[in-house]
Amino acid sequence: MIDSFILGLSSGSTCLLTCGLVIFPYLMAGSAGTRKIVMDLSFFLLTRLVVYFILATLAWHFGKVIFTSPIFRIYISGILYIVFSGMLVWFSISKSRAPDCPAKIVTTVNNKKLVPVILGIVNSLGFCPAILLILTKSATQGTIVQSYLAFLGFFAGSALYFIPLPLAGKIRKKKVFETVGIMATGLAGIIFMIKGITNIIGGIING
Amino acid sequence: MDETIKNQTMKKSFGKSLLYTLPMFLLTFILLTGGKPDFSDRAGTYALLTTFLGLNVLYFLMHFTGKTDKLRAVLFIVFALTLSFTLIKNMVDLRHTMMYSQADILECKMPFCHLVIPMLILPAAFTQSIIYPGSILQGFASISSMVVLWLAASLILGRGFCSWGCFYGGWDDGFSRLRKKRVIRKVNDIWKWMPFAVLLMVAITSALALSPTYCDWICPFKAVTEFEQVTGVESAAKAGIFISLFGGLVVVLPVLTKKRTQCSYLCPLGAINTLSNKVTPFTVKIDRQLCNDCLKCVQVCPMFALTKEDVEKGNVSIFCSKCGKCIDTCPNKAINYGIKGVPAGRMVKFSRNTFLFASFLFIAVFSAGSIITVFKSLFNLFI
Repeated sequence: MIDSFILGLSSGSTCLLTCGLVIFPYLMAGSAGTRKIVMDLSFFLLTRLVVYFILATLAWHFGKVIFTSPIFRIYISGILYIVFSGMLVWFSISKSRAPDCPAKIVTTVNNKKLVPVILGIVNSLGFCPAILLILTKSATQGTIVQSYLAFLGFFAGSALYFIPLPLAGKIRKKKVFETVGIMATGLAGIIFMIKGITNIIGGIING
Repeated sequence: MDETIKNQTMKKSFGKSLLYTLPMFLLTFILLTGGKPDFSDRAGTYALLTTFLGLNVLYFLMHFTGKTDKLRAVLFIVFALTLSFTLIKNMVDLRHTMMYSQADILECKMPFCHLVIPMLILPAAFTQSIIYPGSILQGFASISSMVVLWLAASLILGRGFCSWGCFYGGWDDGFSRLRKKRVIRKVNDIWKWMPFAVLLMVAITSALALSPTYCDWICPFKAVTEFEQVTGVESAAKAGIFISLFGGLVVVLPVLTKKRTQCSYLCPLGAINTLSNKVTPFTVKIDRQLCNDCLKCVQVCPMFALTKEDVEKGNVSIFCSKCGKCIDTCPNKAINYGIKGVPAGRMVKFSRNTFLFASFLFIAVFSAGSIITVFKSLFNLFI
């Protein structure tokens, strides 16, 4: 759970600054008071949590079906860790990375009650490399509870940044925060890559 | 313009330079001898006197020549080399090897260095515990003494600590001076934010794992101080990372770019020190009336602290480590040490004298111990 939390924390600031600032104008739209903003934000985060639990269940179920042999599970998960963490590192250094949140399109829908929920769903299903890594981790867990905990850790780490969202418009040096967030994401990718390599070497040594 | 440049020169006459050196002479003598000079040991006495005279000659020359960076670099590099020697000597005396074992960790025998400080903050705040396996008050390089020294230096010098106090900075500073011309000329400016990402990661991982993850996995200076005994795949991987990062960021890239790449791209304490530049009263100022936008300062800055935009605005960025290289390089003497709140071009000599006194006194006292140890070992070979 700790490494999922770290991944959530490291990619969370980038997530906030790409997706959070998309949601922010919606939250501040109209004459909504603090209560409305908090309610909408709660719905947005709750939806993300629900979608993550669904993803955790699916990943664990399919992981159980596909990764029947423990050795196969070690090698496949090791390779997936390396591939997805490589994608995470590539995401952090690539100049052609998508600059916008996948949920941006939803904000074109005008002030409807379901918007925070739809935003939450689209945001959770963004399938960025960080989510793919957590899906891999979740698929290789022994029990479904461990699978839930992996997603919960990721949710907790990334959601921390959304809590002060009503203040996000006040961030003056957005570019700096975004840059540091992207670099931290790359570093998290390296950590997971080492984990993947260790998994494979451990698998080879232990036969 | 020429008359103004002449007025701005920092050179002093021989007598005036001696006069400015006198307070440093007295203070370093008192601090190096502890107020009670003991000349009973011949090698120790020679080492003390050589160090004492060497330090004061450097300080005298800073006033006499008006130059800062090259003279600072001499002491800074000597400090880095002698400290590594002293550390290794202590390790070998105590353990007969540079490697430390799990037993050393359990017995809290690890010497503490300032790079660990960013990893201590969150665990100390949330668990009221120090996660580093070193001694808090006693012995060689205790945690409390190092934290107090770093805090005091950062409050006074800001990121100046990275060029006047850090006992590792001299390594990449030294390697960045080996070539006359840069091989890699264009480096993306964005990488200077990397230490903040490293800081974020090591602060979080240390708090969650309750162990100093930077020391465990990343620190390049493990290669020249102490490292974990290689007992398996994990410790071998760690040793590989330490050596690769030392080779890449401390040796190869500084030689190729003429920049201090380890300090600029990796060091998490450097990120905190960057923020401390907001607190310190000292800064570096660009006098726009004298500047002709030749941008030589941007080229020579080893810490990526100057950009064209900064020069146009007349300010250095928060990444400045006050090494003095841009000041010495500027052909128009448009760049000088300054004090916040005082306009550029005013109180220039007072600002430089005050900053030099504070920063040199710090590095002199901080470095003297390890320099004396090395000289003493050398003299012992001959006496």
